Amino acid sequence: MGRYTIRRLLQLIPVLLGTTFLINYMVWQLPGDPFAGRCGQRPCPDSYVSAMRAQFGLDQPILLQYWQFLKNMLSGNLGVDFNQVPVVTQLADAWPITIRLALLAVAIEAVIGISAGVLSGLKRGGFIDNVVTISTLFLLSLPVFVTGFLLQWLLGVQFQIITPTVSDEAPIMELIVPAFVLASLNMAFTARLTRTSIVENRRSDYVRTAIAKGLTNRRVVGVHLLRNSLIPVLTFLGTEVGSLMSGAIITEGIFNIHGIGGLLYRAITGQDYTIVVPIASLLVLVYLVSNLLVDLLYGVLDPRIRYE
Amino acid sequence: MRVTKGAKIAAGSALLALGVAACGGGSGSSGGGGSNPRTATGTVYIRGCEPQTGFVPGNINETCGGTVNDFVYSKLVKYNPDTAAPELDQAASIDTTDNKVWTIKLKPGLKWSDGTPVTAKNYVDSWNYTAYSPNAQIGSSWFADIVGFDKVNTADPDGPDGPKQAPKPETDKLAGLEVVDDTTFKVTLAAPTAVFRTKLGYITFAPLPEAFFKDPKGFASNPVTNGPFKFVKWDHNSQIVVAANPDYAGVEKPKVKQIVYKMYKDDDAAYADLVSNNLDFTELIPPSALAGDKWKTDLGDRAIEGQQGVIQTVSFPLFDKEFGGNADFRKAISLAVDRKTITDKIFNKGRVPLDSWVSPIVEGYKAGSCGEFCTYDPVKAKDYLAKAKAAGYTPPKEFPIWYNGDSAHKEWVDAMANSINQALGADAGFTVVGRSMPTFDEFRSVITEHKIKGMFRTGWQMDYPHIEDFLNPLVKTGASSNDGLYSNKALDEKLHEADIATDQNQSVSLYQEAEAMLAQDMPTIPLWSYGLQAGTSKWVTGVKVTPFGELDPLSIAIKEA
Repeated sequence: MGRYTIRRLLQLIPVLLGTTFLINYMVWQLPGDPFAGRCGQRPCPDSYVSAMRAQFGLDQPILLQYWQFLKNMLSGNLGVDFNQVPVVTQLADAWPITIRLALLAVAIEAVIGISAGVLSGLKRGGFIDNVVTISTLFLLSLPVFVTGFLLQWLLGVQFQIITPTVSDEAPIMELIVPAFVLASLNMAFTARLTRTSIVENRRSDYVRTAIAKGLTNRRVVGVHLLRNSLIPVLTFLGTEVGSLMSGAIITEGIFNIHGIGGLLYRAITGQDYTIVVPIASLLVLVYLVSNLLVDLLYGVLDPRIRYE
Repeated sequence: MRVTKGAKIAAGSALLALGVAACGGGSGSSGGGGSNPRTATGTVYIRGCEPQTGFVPGNINETCGGTVNDFVYSKLVKYNPDTAAPELDQAASIDTTDNKVWTIKLKPGLKWSDGTPVTAKNYVDSWNYTAYSPNAQIGSSWFADIVGFDKVNTADPDGPDGPKQAPKPETDKLAGLEVVDDTTFKVTLAAPTAVFRTKLGYITFAPLPEAFFKDPKGFASNPVTNGPFKFVKWDHNSQIVVAANPDYAGVEKPKVKQIVYKMYKDDDAAYADLVSNNLDFTELIPPSALAGDKWKTDLGDRAIEGQQGVIQTVSFPLFDKEFGGNADFRKAISLAVDRKTITDKIFNKGRVPLDSWVSPIVEGYKAGSCGEFCTYDPVKAKDYLAKAKAAGYTPPKEFPIWYNGDSAHKEWVDAMANSINQALGADAGFTVVGRSMPTFDEFRSVITEHKIKGMFRTGWQMDYPHIEDFLNPLVKTGASSNDGLYSNKALDEKLHEADIATDQNQSVSLYQEAEAMLAQDMPTIPLWSYGLQAGTSKWVTGVKVTPFGELDPLSIAIKEA
């Protein structure tokens, strides 16, 4: 297990190098001058464009720029963005909010999704099963921004139970509704995935054996059935954490949450690669690590899976 | 018994009422009942966005930064929030006899927020700093009228793309600026410029204190200012806080203690906050609320309507044989655009059809200078198209109208294309189509490199409320924003004549004559002028919006209980 983890961690290095190079290269290839649009309908003065290009090394060849980027990344010095604001502080402001939101969303997804899936899977064709099937179908067919605007308008503007937008500090209490919106779609996925898994495994030999042994229903379901059924769900939730960490641009926009999604969106539209590249690189890292964790968790859930 | 029962009911319903009130007002920041939650702190919250640059007035060229900088910097001149007319602000007098040499006297007793006095030297230093090209300030070209500009600002011989670098300027002081005494300075312009006085209210002409020159970088994020409000803090991507400046010398004092410039990524989010009274002001009502005038029912008497000095035009690449067309062709296109229907249906009358190249709210606007050519007339449009073809111009089969896809332009561009296609009929020999480029950056790059193939949308947001600002930068030969490379000698001469005229009124009428000449060539097609839709919360009162579409920070006040 230890060696496996180390091997996987070592694999991260070439993957990171490759992806960051690609990201740098693609940003470099984007059409349009990042400083052409900064003066509106007027062209920017040459002296300004030259000074900005020199400051950000845009006048250097791409390999040199990439080398500079790697050096800065490793020394933790990300410099400033095109607005001359330190990149590190912007990331430090935005990440905690995004992480809070993502974890909350995944928690909501896991708790509601898995319990709905288990309940409906155990009583296939029953009343609960039908309710879950219909409500998940409903959630699946609603785009996130519809759910978001609807809840904001209903709870925030109409009934005034919540504030329509989240304050700058983004405390957990205010994030519940946005997290629910974010989770709504994947909650339905999780529920359906769990249900199928449960239905399938209920007929398997080990469950029959467990029942024949005279174990209580609770133990059969809670320990034998659930643990095995969770493997596909876990894979799904694992990748989900990764994608949620990249920020939820739409949800963050609707509720005005100052997270990574909005930062990334603003940077992409402004071609501000000083922000895009570090965020994208960090996201690669998040994906790789969360995938590794999921792989390791398989071993915990199913003792038959061993890593050498 | 009766009494007790009655009392019980009364008490019960009172409790119920309290409960309901608490629910109704339970939106976090608001207290219960009718009391105004803003009174306790004196703070109001307005919609904002993250500025691209910091608090250095010479380096700002976008609305997010411009708005908040206007709160904290006072200039020599300010524009009347109702009429857009220039009025003296920090200047006690601005005198000239020939529109060439200007003597500017400051009011006595003006102070910076660090307590030091505002002096003539502050103005001169600031202007010199901005104009000096090695400082790479965005606003440098604003000082090109002043004598000695070419000595402090050198051009890169082969542009920023070329390998050569701009030579170091001879000096860092504009020869045309001279400090006379603490409160007086003299400006000498290279040529008489009647509109110079009006220009002085633009943010680039603000002064900078001594503190700036000690640490320009640090100053940008923690400035010392001379305006009605002073800087308190800036949490990047979330808020900027400014507080009333107790030393502010202006006649009209701020009526609130603090303004929080709260940043929103999404206009809809800001609007939702406004409707539920968590936000006190926004000047951007989202399209979803404008549709069917929903915002007026939502906001009632909290809705503010007006005009702002922004116009939308479509330009032709006159340097391109294929898509430049000839004058008759451009007239045909203009005649085929049903401006009224588009502004009614797509903008819900939020924009006003234009019949001239100048915003209706500025000094020098003359109705109907585009005249018949800006009035929808399919029959005449066909006539002009026939004339254009007779003169030897064959339009390409597909004629695009380009726009940037990252803002809401698709709807009107498509509507305009439809309008033209319908008016010119199926036998026109070409179809007009809307085409987008992904980002504004890319769009502007293609335009400034003169590689665009088709008509393209151009908008103009006035820098100062004067007809000159809609002509010189846009249609003069070689002007900075003359994107279609239009050139007309007679027009240039007329503009020059207007520039150097010593009499204000005569200058304006010369500009109007110049504008009228545009109707012969139609280098750009005027479409509509932007209306202004803003809204306030129920906690504030007296709110005025300037013709620049910004909140007048002195107007906003908190409602008494």
